[in-house]
Formats: sequence, C-alpha cells, structure tokens
Amino acid sequence: MDEQQVRKYFRTEKQLQFRTDFFDAAEDYEVWEEIDFANVQEIEGENTFEIKEEDVLFFAEAALDTNPLVRDPEVARRSTYGELFVHPVFITSIIFWCVGEKGRGNWIRTPGARNPGQSCVIHEYLRIGETIHIKMKPHDRFIKRGKYHLQYKVDLYNQHDVLKVETITTLILPKDREGIRRFLAGERGVDD
Amino acid sequence: MKPLTFDAISDGDRLPEVVRTVDQETFWKFAAASFDYNPVHCDPEWVKTARPFTLTTTVGHGMMTGAFMSSVVTQWMLPTVLKIRKASVKFTFPVLPGWTITSRGLVAEKHVLAPGKNFVVITVKAENQDGMVVGLAEYEVEFPD
Repeated sequence: MDEQQVRKYFRTEKQLQFRTDFFDAAEDYEVWEEIDFANVQEIEGENTFEIKEEDVLFFAEAALDTNPLVRDPEVARRSTYGELFVHPVFITSIIFWCVGEKGRGNWIRTPGARNPGQSCVIHEYLRIGETIHIKMKPHDRFIKRGKYHLQYKVDLYNQHDVLKVETITTLILPKDREGIRRFLAGERGVDD
Repeated sequence: MKPLTFDAISDGDRLPEVVRTVDQETFWKFAAASFDYNPVHCDPEWVKTARPFTLTTTVGHGMMTGAFMSSVVTQWMLPTVLKIRKASVKFTFPVLPGWTITSRGLVAEKHVLAPGKNFVVITVKAENQDGMVVGLAEYEVEFPD
C-alpha cells in the first residue's frame, strides 16, 4: 500500500501512532486452525483507548455522516444530549486500536480477512473522555460454505470497569499459516 | 424539531433513507478512521492478484456499510437520544469504488411493554445503484420514559 494515500488524511494523535502496515507482523498473527478452544481464556487487549473529540469527529466525517449531533461540537453541546453523539460503529476503531499488533486477537489484522457481518449489545453509549479497555476470548470457529469463520467475544469496558458494549467479532480468514503467506505474497490465500 | 415518541410510531413506518457514494478515497479515509488497514480496502495493486473476494478491485470496509446502515437509525432518532441496545449486521456483497449505496429502514416490530421498556425493531437494507443488496441490519431501539 502506498501509505501516503492514507497519511494525507491523518489528523489525530492516534493516527500518527498506529502502524498501518498489516503485513509487517503478519507471520505472528493468530491463525484460524491454531486457536485453542479447549482451554478458553479471557484476555485483555494490548492497549487502551482514550476517547477524544478529535477521534469521534474524524470517524463521523469518514463515515460520511451529516447529522450535526455527530459532526458539530457546538450544536451537540447545545442539545439535550449535551455532547457529541459517538457514532455506534466507532466500536471498530476501538477494537483495532486496543487489540494492537502483537497481542492476542491480532488475527483481525490478517491481510485478506473478509467481514461477513457483526453483532453487538450496547449497554451504555460510548462517551468522549472515557478510557476503554477490552476483554476478549475465543467464542466460535466454524466452516460455512467453504469459508473459515472465527469469532471472538470482545467486550468494551470503561475506566471504572463499567461494561459498555459486548460484541461478537467475526471474520473469514485463511485456514492456516500457508494461506496467510500466500496473501502476503500477493496470491489468493483461500480456496473458496 | 419535536422529540420522537413511542406512541407516534407505527410498525411499518419507513425511516428517511441514507444515500452515500463511495470511491477509493472514501476507503482510505475510513481506514484512517477505523484503523483497519486491510489491503483488500487500501491496496489496489495487491488486490489485483490476491483477490480475497475473487474481485480484482478493492472493496469498502464492511463496517463502512455498517456505518451507513446505522446512520439510518441515528439520522431518524437524533436529537432524541433513544437507546440502540442491540445491533446485528450482515454484509451480503462487497461495495466497489464508484458505487452509490442507499440504505432504507423500516419499523419492523413495535414491542409494547411498559414506559421505559418499550422498544422497536428496525430493519435496514443497503443496496447499490442497481438494486443489488450489499447489507442487511437489524437494530433494537428502546424508548426512555
């Protein structure tokens, strides 16, 4: 990827810190067939995410949302809600940030991964100023129409350990390391 | 703008649609927003041979489509802040650069329980300019007292 194509959009502190090259550590990514379902353990993400106004505003803009309560801090402050409404799909940014590069759950960075759909339960809306950490564990692994699906339960907590959102995070992945290597080489790493 | 009230809503009500046109710049910017730099969205050269979706072009993030579909609900409800308590989305076809995605929602169910517990189920369908379905979603939205 020509990184300049994405860097030209960078405006937030986190964007400058995050490693955009998903190939770099891919040899160490967790692999579909190697996930241990016999001894499931819940683990914390590598990083925490402090929700800042700049993060929330940028996401809403990139999502092409035009609602003033999502895009205009002044309008949002004058509303009954009193602050910017955090876009529901902002959860995605938090999960990628908190999983990090080397920690468990890094299979979400697999080049060639495909998204069949997602689900979540929202207990409380995310708010600017909160610091989110995630807890995750393997949830399911299945083959459907020849495609290898992996699901983790990924739960988002704030700094007071209040459960904000529960998700089932699902991706279709290469079955094994050989599939990942093929994608890294620019070849098709799945056979479906 | 008048607050949205549970009594004013009927099953079958259609929500205002959300229309978005996307291109490769949209995908790059969404990558920067979501931290999802999967080359299937960001690298037009790599995807020509790697073809995860068997397509030789990049495709938009599934969660980009998810964002469009959830905007149907937030556009409808805000400034009334209802509680979106459950969301599930399914991506049925990848979104290509240059497509226009129209997301349409309707009140599929109205659950009449008690003040503070009443909720509706909103289903949303996202289609491209040719009517191809690219995403389906369902949201449970609770009304406060």
